[in-house]
Amino acid sequence: MRKYLAILRGALMEGMAYRTGFFFIILGNIIYLCVAYFLWHSIYANTTTIHGLTFNETFIYISLGSTVFVLLKTYADWQIAHEIEDGTIAIYLTKPVDYQFYALFISLGSVLTTMAAITVPTLLMLTLVFHVTFSLGPGLLLFPVSLLLAFLISFFFDYVTGLLAFYAESIWGISTTKEILISILAGALVPLQFFPQAIQKVLLVLPFQAIYYTPLMLVTRPNQDGSILLSMLGIQVLWVVILFVLTRLFYNQAIKVLRVAGG
Amino acid sequence: MTLIHIEDLNKHFKILNRHQGLSGAIRDLFSSDFRLVKAVDGISYDIEAGEIIGYIGPNGAGKSTTIKMMTGILKPTSGEILVNGQPPYLNRIRQAQIMGVVFGQRTQLWWDLPVIESFKILKEIYRVDQKTFDAHMDLFNDLVGLGALFGQQVRTLSLGQRMLCDITASFLHDPQVVFLDEPTIGLDISVKAKIRTVIKELNKTRNTTIILTTHDLGDVEALCQRIIIIDKGRILYDGGIKKVNALFGAYRTLKLQIDDFSETTLETLQQKLGEQFSAESGITVAETEDHWTDVTIDQARTPLADVLSFVMGSFPVSDVRIVEISMEKVVRKVYDGALG
Repeated sequence: MRKYLAILRGALMEGMAYRTGFFFIILGNIIYLCVAYFLWHSIYANTTTIHGLTFNETFIYISLGSTVFVLLKTYADWQIAHEIEDGTIAIYLTKPVDYQFYALFISLGSVLTTMAAITVPTLLMLTLVFHVTFSLGPGLLLFPVSLLLAFLISFFFDYVTGLLAFYAESIWGISTTKEILISILAGALVPLQFFPQAIQKVLLVLPFQAIYYTPLMLVTRPNQDGSILLSMLGIQVLWVVILFVLTRLFYNQAIKVLRVAGG
Repeated sequence: MTLIHIEDLNKHFKILNRHQGLSGAIRDLFSSDFRLVKAVDGISYDIEAGEIIGYIGPNGAGKSTTIKMMTGILKPTSGEILVNGQPPYLNRIRQAQIMGVVFGQRTQLWWDLPVIESFKILKEIYRVDQKTFDAHMDLFNDLVGLGALFGQQVRTLSLGQRMLCDITASFLHDPQVVFLDEPTIGLDISVKAKIRTVIKELNKTRNTTIILTTHDLGDVEALCQRIIIIDKGRILYDGGIKKVNALFGAYRTLKLQIDDFSETTLETLQQKLGEQFSAESGITVAETEDHWTDVTIDQARTPLADVLSFVMGSFPVSDVRIVEISMEKVVRKVYDGALG
């Protein structure tokens, strides 16, 4: 474990080396929040609830959604694909580290830097400028855990996308498609309640909702019954386990392309 | 003690035969027209602990493929490979602990961090204890003055400094074997010399086995007692450096640019050299690139200076370069039976 903590430490320090980028990401996010605020304000002009969500709840969901989206976007898929394409992966394959854990901790380092540099300022903005009031409830306590699980699930998707570089010349198309699919199917753009009933049912059994919908709902509706909150978390845990096993199996398969066909 | 045992090792790749043009590209999508490339074709050797092996051959000879099999990245198609008694591709993580690897064109250092941080991370990755770490850092500092570079970001290092850091870093965990893949590529003479000293020193003090692939015959001359020449996946020569040294160590190519070059210049040059020096002088003349004439000289038989002054005196030479014999020429000579 200590070796991965050392890798995490390195990743955190590398993250700090690119400070100037943070400012622009915060600025971009603020512009998006302003647009979203006025858009949803006018949508809610003649009504107090849409699909059972109040304006405040929807805006928390949307604004937090974009913030978490920025947070979880670690570009791990691009980095892994890049390491495979230019052969740098060989360096890690000759070290006593597990490649998946190495990539995971690099990615975690990126999430933690983003959290300190972008997420916290954005949350302050939300409360101070947009006067968003968060309701209090046990869901808020579960949010950090849920966010960590969401990160793991998001990472597994990035990891598989990155490993596809063993098969594809470029993962550009695959990565873009993955990004769009996840942001829609996971409820990063709008809450899942806004989808038709039938589609909602399908989406709730797919792993995507565990990335955005679950943690976001914990904050939007923190007062739900304890058993409902815990079962949401339970489903996340289940997806983490399933995806972990699947990604291990996929790695063993993908690495054969290198081991057998050469780099 | 035999550290690496390789017997009848093969690595074959299946490569798709690609067709030309757009229609060809579409055909390739469904094609099963593969050709077999034997990157490594039945090689065998044993390497003893503490040796420095020069592993040389032209581009595409199979050097890197063999290294990748020894480091456990590639799985052999057939044959046996044991490093410290274990096949490297099984239990890769445990095997990685006993080896160090430097790929000349890549770095294991963290690009945006000060040099010392990479060493600290490696310390944890290889579970090096503090005492050993300190002792090694002192040693590296004595060898290459590493201390002065510690605070510098890796991206700001020169290629030579970075390579010195990379090489010493690969010795941090006291590996039994270190693979150096083209460690002197793109470096100038003085840095090369320094890198050679460091490699030699580390080999001596730690008794680490070193396997060195290089294009630079100077590296081999300076470091290796034993040399393995490989071409087209097969071993051409495996043995002492002395015999090979005589082959490439003594040869130099004199590249001449002669004014008013014409068809007859080459003939005249050949003729005049023949008159001046005896038939056994070992001088050959050939035109290579545009208007450059190559005169290859065996220094053991004819002093280079004599030939140079003779040519300069008899022909209008506008430019001269002296180059060591190339890897490709050595391999060709070996093929021609020069090592008998």
